[in-house]
Amino acid sequence: MKISYKWLNEWVDLSGLKGPEQLAEILTARGLEVESIDRQDRGFDKVISAQILHKEKHPEADRLSLCKVNPGGGADYLDIVCGAQNMKVGDIVCLAQIGAHLPNGMKIEKGKIRGVVSMGMLCSEQELGLAKESEGILILPPKTPVGWKLSDILGLDDTVLEIKLTANRGDCLSYRGMAREVAAALGQPLKAPKVSPFSGSGSPIRVELDAGEFAPQFFGAYLDSVEVGPSPDWLKKRLESIGQRSINNLVDVSNLLMFEYGFPVHIYDADKLEGGVIRVTRSKSGEKIPLLDGGEIETTGEELIITDGVKAVGLAGVMGGGNSEVSEGTKRVFLECAEFDPTLVRRAAFRFGRRSEASLRFEKGIDPKGHREAMGRLIDFVSKIAGGELVGTSFAELPSRAAFSVKSIATTVDFINGFLGTGLSEEKITAILQTLECGVEKSGTALRVTPPTYRLDLRIREDLAEEVARSIGYDAIPTTIPALSGMPEMRLGNAKDHRLSVIDEAKDALAALGVNEVLTYSFQSEGWLARFGMRSSVPILNPLSEEQGFLVPSLLPGMMKAYLENERHHFGSDPLSVRLFEIRPVFSFSGQKIEAKGEGETGVTERLKLCILLSGPRYAQGLAVERGETDFFDLKAVLESLFETLRTKGIRIRAADSGLLQSSAGLFHPGQSLQYAAGKEAIGFAGRIHPKLESELKLRGPVYWAELDLEPVIGLTPEKEASFKAWSPFPTMERDFALLVDQTLPAENLIQSALKHGKPIAKVAKIFDTYQGTQLPEGKISIGVRVIFSDDSKSLEEKQVDLCSELIVKKWNDEFKAVIR
Amino acid sequence: MEPLLFYWHMSIHAAIEEKGSSALNQIEHSTDLEALDAVRVAVLGKKGSLSEALKQLGQVPPEERPKLGALANEWKAKIETAIEARKEILAAAQIEADLIRTRIDVTLPARKIHLGSLHPITRTIRKVSDTLGRLGFDVTTGPEVETDFMNFEAVNIPKDHPARDMQDTFFLGPGVVLRSQTSPVQMRTMREKKWPVRILCPGAVYRCDSDATHSPMFHQIEGLWVDKKVSMSDLKGVLDFFAKELFGSHVKIRLRPSYFPFVEPGAEVDVSCALCAGRNPHCQVCKGTGWLEILGAGMVHPRLFELAGYDPSEISGFAFGMGVERIAMLLHDIPDLRLMFQGDQRFLKQF
Repeated sequence: MKISYKWLNEWVDLSGLKGPEQLAEILTARGLEVESIDRQDRGFDKVISAQILHKEKHPEADRLSLCKVNPGGGADYLDIVCGAQNMKVGDIVCLAQIGAHLPNGMKIEKGKIRGVVSMGMLCSEQELGLAKESEGILILPPKTPVGWKLSDILGLDDTVLEIKLTANRGDCLSYRGMAREVAAALGQPLKAPKVSPFSGSGSPIRVELDAGEFAPQFFGAYLDSVEVGPSPDWLKKRLESIGQRSINNLVDVSNLLMFEYGFPVHIYDADKLEGGVIRVTRSKSGEKIPLLDGGEIETTGEELIITDGVKAVGLAGVMGGGNSEVSEGTKRVFLECAEFDPTLVRRAAFRFGRRSEASLRFEKGIDPKGHREAMGRLIDFVSKIAGGELVGTSFAELPSRAAFSVKSIATTVDFINGFLGTGLSEEKITAILQTLECGVEKSGTALRVTPPTYRLDLRIREDLAEEVARSIGYDAIPTTIPALSGMPEMRLGNAKDHRLSVIDEAKDALAALGVNEVLTYSFQSEGWLARFGMRSSVPILNPLSEEQGFLVPSLLPGMMKAYLENERHHFGSDPLSVRLFEIRPVFSFSGQKIEAKGEGETGVTERLKLCILLSGPRYAQGLAVERGETDFFDLKAVLESLFETLRTKGIRIRAADSGLLQSSAGLFHPGQSLQYAAGKEAIGFAGRIHPKLESELKLRGPVYWAELDLEPVIGLTPEKEASFKAWSPFPTMERDFALLVDQTLPAENLIQSALKHGKPIAKVAKIFDTYQGTQLPEGKISIGVRVIFSDDSKSLEEKQVDLCSELIVKKWNDEFKAVIR
Repeated sequence: MEPLLFYWHMSIHAAIEEKGSSALNQIEHSTDLEALDAVRVAVLGKKGSLSEALKQLGQVPPEERPKLGALANEWKAKIETAIEARKEILAAAQIEADLIRTRIDVTLPARKIHLGSLHPITRTIRKVSDTLGRLGFDVTTGPEVETDFMNFEAVNIPKDHPARDMQDTFFLGPGVVLRSQTSPVQMRTMREKKWPVRILCPGAVYRCDSDATHSPMFHQIEGLWVDKKVSMSDLKGVLDFFAKELFGSHVKIRLRPSYFPFVEPGAEVDVSCALCAGRNPHCQVCKGTGWLEILGAGMVHPRLFELAGYDPSEISGFAFGMGVERIAMLLHDIPDLRLMFQGDQRFLKQF
């Protein structure tokens, strides 16, 4: 909200302040945050009135004039080069002197224009920021004194403060409300204007309430002999100072009343009202109402509307009707000052896209006991400014509204001090509340506080504590560290649960493995997901754009976007290395319709995923020949190292054959991918991106990626610290085997078989070599397997190892037709 | 002594002298260890020249033998010393030669392994959690898809409340939203556990807003402390500690009254500009105001305790919430919010 310093000064004496900056500090400290301070004379430093003494053509340029001007103050004339032609000798013009910094940003410097020195510039309205467009320079009235500051001549001596009001302080949406706060802060009285009293009768048009509690009171006033015309200058200026346009004297006074008192009011052309009544009622569905902005709305049956007994003449609290608005010829007017339900006004304003200064004030709630005074002030304004004569008024009120009184709040001095951590005296607290126009009654140690009717936000004792806190200033509240009380159920801080700890450890491990953590958006476009054969089951109903329309079912599409972003800005011959990981949830829904169940259930499942992408050289730096290229086994190594770091037990792998790849169709190269399982539960895949996808996305090189469910991994990760395990004191023995097997046999099967059948002494089995070549039969591969034997309790004997080896070899042959080469 | 014999003796004498000095000469000129060893064999070996000369000693009259023997031993020692000395020189030369042969250009690039990094958001959440953890806060998280109830009503923002304007929310279905704040975690925790409660809730939140300073997805950390006799001065103390730990012991905090429906009283919290302390009117960080708004805070509204099943007359509490991106940008001098979500490694690798 914009507040004019001068205007506010009419409501509360600001002469004790050093200026707008100090006012801003006071308001901000009280919770009325001042966002900007705008001096109207900003940019008018060094702009003065001057008289043209002489004018001739520039010798070098037809379009330029050379002027001699009198800048006043007894000085000599100044030479000015000017591009405009609309001035003549004797005119008073605006001279921007050397050093001026105009509102449009232009800096005036001494300079030569086409060889002639110019000692300043004659300004146009546009250059002075007084108009968006202007032709020629601004010519001031003939009797304007020479050498005066332009800001003095134009009366631009006000300062406008932009205030960011919080949602609870609707009472401050007016000069009166703001002045109350300032008055309380300064210990000054409010300079309230005198309002003429009126009696509640005599209006030829009567008001009726027909909307129950949604419209509890209504003041109407009938005035004759008004003259519609332009507003007086002071009123125009006042509205313009806070960014409002002057329309005519009637519209302007209704705005003036709203800004001064915070009460939105409406003025009807009384001659356009037909039924002798103004009634507030709920709309029927499908009623069409022409509005005064030229548009038409169709009601839904919920809104509050105003009718004249024959037709709808306004959308209550939002906008008046186009069929009853005041115009040039209006002679008689009907004034409305009423109370409408905040929620209905808010919904209607949103529904029809017509939120306004008026609807905003209704939404935030208006002093239920202030309408009479506001109406009196409005009648005074209309009479004074548009010459109207009051014929009579009409007033209606629900009994519940008539009986309304503010509920008092019980509190104690101890509560307030304990809650704030302060040590204020009872006198001090009482005085603060009284300054804020609260009634305070004392009984024993208890205080019974009755807030003023305009403070609808004060309801509980904590609200009173806040009033005290902001009155003494938050700076005056001490600084303490809270005590740690015993806590049987929760840890004493600095602890994360197991799940969060594993996530953190996984991130650390992946970073240590040379992978960079990335964060991608949880939403992607339908089209982008479709490129990966995916569909989201969780669409966003009101997305910002199509690009962000659907919650992701997988982190892979976002990861690919990040990869492509890195490709996009990679130039030159150096190979691109991209190594990214992300740990974030993905979203799915399997029910009929996404809908809240109870207070806490959404039915949408969030599954925590780990996604990794690797591509480019294996080493970060080095000679080309030594850097190598990342391949499948680098990705596999990252995952194995991760599990080893976490001490996760029970992660199994399976070569991802076509059957397994059903669930990841098209994402992975079937011959270069692996399925991971946690125990028996499949948790995801790792592998080279499918060559089809690689070519569709026009990737520069092979990309290896993985996506795994993280929760099962967390489940298999021990919470307990690692415990020491002793190694066997007896020497190990080993046997190497060269096995000829089918190329399609996963080598891992040989390992698992050896460990299974070699129990208990075959402790380790590993592939140490593979060989394929022309010496081998077609379709065969030679695999070198080393088995390491040991016994924890004694030295092994050769014979024992030989027997075990024979068994292993036999099983290899039985199970896989593997033969020793 | 007979002259002939004398000459013969003399000739053995001379032969020793001659072989000896010749050997010394050869040693001196041998250029590698092999040549040196050949000299040793040729002179001192079983069939070496000195050994040969010594064999003739038997023919010399006994009285002459000691003299010649001594001479021969003298030479032998001399030669051995010379060989040792030469060997040392040659061995050193050999190492020198090897050094030259095995020299590499050490200014060629190192074979560097990839270094990974943690996202500044992760780093900031950890930093904040670790700092406040020392005061006794636990970290806890909750779902990102929430009910309207948990996101709004449970934090005292009923339907049609003007405060809903403050947050533009993404909707997924009737009563289902992408949480616009991490506050639902507070309510979920309070409904699960008895007080005292001291928690930090970090996580992603969503609002329909996207420009240079707003991202539709961003992160928050909220803190909640509920116990007997918790006061607003405690809130100030915790925030003061937090600001000093994060931005330096010289920074100050400032609380300005503000309004959030879930707290009463509410405050916006500024820290003094760590860079210019308000002394530079053109400061890029604080825009010359001397203050940076970093979080919102306040005393928990009793309505929340009622909704949580706590008795508001027994307890009080404070809560605060901050934008993680904002803190991360301040800590790491990041100029543009959008960098956080682009996945550009030139950005990621800096942290």
